[in-house]
Amino acid sequence: MKLVCLGLNHETAPVEVRERFALTETALERETEMLLAAQDVEEGVVLSTCNRTEYYAVVNGGSGVAELENWICEQRDFGGARDGVFYHHVARGAAEHLCRVASGMNSMVLGETEIFGQVKKAYKRSLESGATKGVLNKLFQRAFGVGKKVRTHTAIQEGATSVAGASVELAEKVFGKLKGSSVMVIGAGEMSRKTARALQSRGASSVMVTNRSFDKAVDLAEEIGGRAVPFQGWEEELAHLDVVIAATGAPHFVVKPAHIEAVRRKRKYRPLIMVDIAVPRDIDPAVGEIEEVYLYDIDTLQEMADQARKRREQQLLLCEEIIREEIDKVKLPAVND
Amino acid sequence: MGIGWVVIATILAAAGGVFGALAVRSDQPGRAAFFWMVLAFGAQLMALGWRGEIRGRCPLGDVGEVCLFLAWSLTLFYLVTGTTYRLSLLGVFTAPLVMILQLVALVPGAFEVGVERAKSVDPWWEAHAALSVLSYGALALAAVAGVMFFILNYRLKSKKLGGGMMHGMPSISRLVEAMARIALVGWVVLTIGIVAGLLIEGGSFGIHLMVATITWVLYAVLLGIYFVRGMPGRQLAIGLTSLFVLSLLVFAKL
Repeated sequence: MKLVCLGLNHETAPVEVRERFALTETALERETEMLLAAQDVEEGVVLSTCNRTEYYAVVNGGSGVAELENWICEQRDFGGARDGVFYHHVARGAAEHLCRVASGMNSMVLGETEIFGQVKKAYKRSLESGATKGVLNKLFQRAFGVGKKVRTHTAIQEGATSVAGASVELAEKVFGKLKGSSVMVIGAGEMSRKTARALQSRGASSVMVTNRSFDKAVDLAEEIGGRAVPFQGWEEELAHLDVVIAATGAPHFVVKPAHIEAVRRKRKYRPLIMVDIAVPRDIDPAVGEIEEVYLYDIDTLQEMADQARKRREQQLLLCEEIIREEIDKVKLPAVND
Repeated sequence: MGIGWVVIATILAAAGGVFGALAVRSDQPGRAAFFWMVLAFGAQLMALGWRGEIRGRCPLGDVGEVCLFLAWSLTLFYLVTGTTYRLSLLGVFTAPLVMILQLVALVPGAFEVGVERAKSVDPWWEAHAALSVLSYGALALAAVAGVMFFILNYRLKSKKLGGGMMHGMPSISRLVEAMARIALVGWVVLTIGIVAGLLIEGGSFGIHLMVATITWVLYAVLLGIYFVRGMPGRQLAIGLTSLFVLSLLVFAKL
């Protein structure tokens, strides 16, 4: 018996190949059953996320990587070039790979936490359908333990690695908790949506959306559960805001110092964080010279995200060490032989 | 043990500053300074007990005792505020000030020797002296929070966003709130202290009480503007730190 892992992910396969192998919730169950019905497969777990599809199998006798790869390609009716599309790991290598995946070390956004839940869900599905036994049960339980240990003992998930996340981090540096804070998004594009969502996820309760095209503002406001404000009257709302996100396509400054000066007294000089993620910039840099205004542009946010990514990368060696130590404790012939 | 308690309190405050700063450098500020400051507070209490026993009254009769009492008051307000506002890093900033005050107390001659034990005690004088110094502890802490604000504000404004210092700092809003509330507590205690001073039997409205009253008025104006009209955090921090330094210099001169 030996443990085999075969898969493809964002690093090895383009999206048009990945989508071919991606499996829906219902398809996953059937896929696992079919995998077990295949020759010499004793146990199996199939993991499918937007960035990866992986098969973990305990195989008997002569069956191995090549057979598994052929079987998968047959199932998906994939006749394209396979060179470099699939990766595989055997025995201890497969066990270590699973731990890396569960720890977010193999994710597109290093250290992201969502994958942990996705691996758990995939395992639970296989467990409930009776597709896992002694080897995979023990291995997945160990991988979950490793995933938790890696996250608590290293800084793999510290710092924001996206522009939206960096905006939230800065807002928290100024306001502490964002619970109950008011946000205005100027512009109704994708970045506005992402940043507003990120702020909402951290407790921002009132989100206003304004846009030159009011219809788009209404659409985004409806999507995120906020309120659309006509572009002609957005300045009036400034007195009540804590965070302003500007992401329009305007070729000139939308927010000028005069806008803030007009409401300072009314705001009782409370801190105001302004995030300008537009290029060309929407907020006049002179706005940042007002004492209680904290202004950040896309370059600052990008730099924050890059630094966080670097810090996470520096943690990889430590994470690998934890994984090695933990896999050393696994006493299974399918993993060790 | 006597003066040994002051030495111990000074070493403990220094440890609070050093270990707190090391924790900041290693990106894990936590509560390193808090632990040492709790121990320093205990040693300060023992030292004040020693001086109080010698004088038979509130130990505020010489430079050493005033510095020691002020250091104790500062530590007391830090321990209360640090927990309330979760300003763990405040300890790193408070510890050096506490240490300096205690080092001044340790200068030879700061503590009078051969002090005569008081035969009678005027409760109003005792309350005036103790509450005035106590209020200065709170006002000192508000000034320390003001210094923290300057650092955080500078780093946020100039986009220097990395490092352990930033990691351990509270938010701008929390610092502004802490500054204002601590100063308000200090001002209220100072008010009671001044009223007690006016009630001292046979006392007169001397220069000492006059300076205290001017200080009181200036703090009242500053806090009044902040709470009623509002004020940028930086201006509040400038007001609190400069008022504290100024009043301390005037009292030292007196």
